[in-house]
Amino acid sequence: MMYHQMPIPPRSEHLWRYTPWHRIHPSKPDVIPSADGIVFKTQDNVSLIETSSTQPTSSEIARTFLHECKGSSYNLSLDNIAEPIHINARCSGHVSVGTLNVEVKGSAVLFIHLTGEPEWAGIRITGTVHPNSQLFYGFINELDSNAKFLRCEDWNLQRDASMENATLSLGGFRCKTDIRSSLNGTGASLRQAITVNADGAQHDDEHVEIHHHHGHTYSDLVMNSACGGSSHFIGTGLLTIAEGANKTDASQVFRNLLLSEKARAEAIPELEVLADDVSAAHGAASAPVDSEQMHYLMSRGLNPVDAQNMIVSGFLNDAFSNLTNAALIKEMRTRLTVHLECELKR
Amino acid sequence: MTEEILRVENLHVSVGDVPILKGLNLVINRGEIHAIMGRNGSGKSTLANVIMGHPSYEITDGHVFYRGQALEDLEVHERARAGMFLSFQYPASIPGVQVGTFLKKSVSSVRENPPKGREFRKELTAAMSQLSMDKSFLSRYVNDGFSGGEKKRLEILQLLLLQPHLALLDETDSGLDIDALRIVAEGINEVAPNSASLIITHYQRLLDLVQPHFVHAMIDGNIVHSGGPELALELEERGYDWLDNAA
Repeated sequence: MMYHQMPIPPRSEHLWRYTPWHRIHPSKPDVIPSADGIVFKTQDNVSLIETSSTQPTSSEIARTFLHECKGSSYNLSLDNIAEPIHINARCSGHVSVGTLNVEVKGSAVLFIHLTGEPEWAGIRITGTVHPNSQLFYGFINELDSNAKFLRCEDWNLQRDASMENATLSLGGFRCKTDIRSSLNGTGASLRQAITVNADGAQHDDEHVEIHHHHGHTYSDLVMNSACGGSSHFIGTGLLTIAEGANKTDASQVFRNLLLSEKARAEAIPELEVLADDVSAAHGAASAPVDSEQMHYLMSRGLNPVDAQNMIVSGFLNDAFSNLTNAALIKEMRTRLTVHLECELKR
Repeated sequence: MTEEILRVENLHVSVGDVPILKGLNLVINRGEIHAIMGRNGSGKSTLANVIMGHPSYEITDGHVFYRGQALEDLEVHERARAGMFLSFQYPASIPGVQVGTFLKKSVSSVRENPPKGREFRKELTAAMSQLSMDKSFLSRYVNDGFSGGEKKRLEILQLLLLQPHLALLDETDSGLDIDALRIVAEGINEVAPNSASLIITHYQRLLDLVQPHFVHAMIDGNIVHSGGPELALELEERGYDWLDNAA
């Protein structure tokens, strides 16, 4: 179905409750704008190929919209690459759109750094982690603070494949993320971590779906947000375990730290479990900075500002504790630390 | 010459509407080790917490002076920077903050002339070695997933690094096995001669290793009896019932 044939999703749908389509669309919902392509650049030895064909359409409105915007399109093939790969995805212009398809065989560490000053940016990433392969992937959103941003990702994890998927969401004025992963083979494993530092009037909506289609699969999602100013964070998760996908082990934890009285955060994990013999856990909490932690750090000489900054930094860093790949953890924590230090200097 | 470090005068403290401390008096000079013993709920930890400025406690009457200065004028971090230290009974965990980062920041905040990189590492290594702490401690998150004994060792490591004028040790001996207790006691004994120390404990066993100059029995929010080290033995043997009338 083409975009114009699709109904605008109602706010009663879980996915669109907090950021309806018209609020994330670059202009009016019936318009397909003319888009500049996001420019993807990486090291010389990496096979990143620009193609003319964009990714296939989808029955989902945001993905179909990105497809029809006809921005840039790239294919990335990763076949046992030892060194971490850094892709700089540079956005510019009024509307900037790019799509990337990733194929992973063997093992690879991949970082995508999204930068630029567009009014609106949209990125769609699809990927397959082939049998017995590993992808350690970090996505860092450092867009200009005035940009609107839509991100859709779809990952296919095959038998015995494992993926660590980390997000650091720092930029953008209004962001909507929809990451869907399907564990499509026995032994597939996904560890996902999302860290959001929102301030001012930022609005960040992170939706994560994890679908266990086979048994003996594992997933673990941690989403931590720290919200200051009058920012609003929404974390929604949908975890499904298909009938017969026994011995699945899945968990989702959402934690929000509220740094001001006007900041808001929603954390809504959802489970659909159709198998009998599984472990599925979820939890959500939103709270201000813990007064006992503040007192402890202040009793060690830190002034209230330094004490709070240390707690926030630790809290955001802690989202990456469920990851195992040292290079991935180090890069994500370094980027976060640099961002927090820059914020302090403002 | 005697240097007064802590003076507590007629201290009344409440939590909400509940009075906890009821007119407590205490003076500690530099070089002195005082021990306070008492039943659960008698107000021992409240005394330590209120001296350190915990926001949950309200001083309803009386005063606390530290090196001649009224403590009401000082925020918690200013008290720490002035040389006050509390070893917490239940130290808070700070997930995501590595012990090494925390210690460096704390030492830089408290000490007037904090040691630079290599000098700090050398000092840290020596203190950790003294407390039989493995280097891997430094990359763990502050008190996160620590055993009771590990938490107490980290508290004493901070005591060694921060070199306070006043050390308040709130049940530092609880949760320690015999070997850990000996190591922790050595740490306290190193700092004690140059500071004023207040040890809060339920048990005589720490006081076998850290000899107090004065022991105080606390009942229902007040010190009802004071004596020398022999009082700790007597309290261990006789309990607190015989002091109830004094309260």
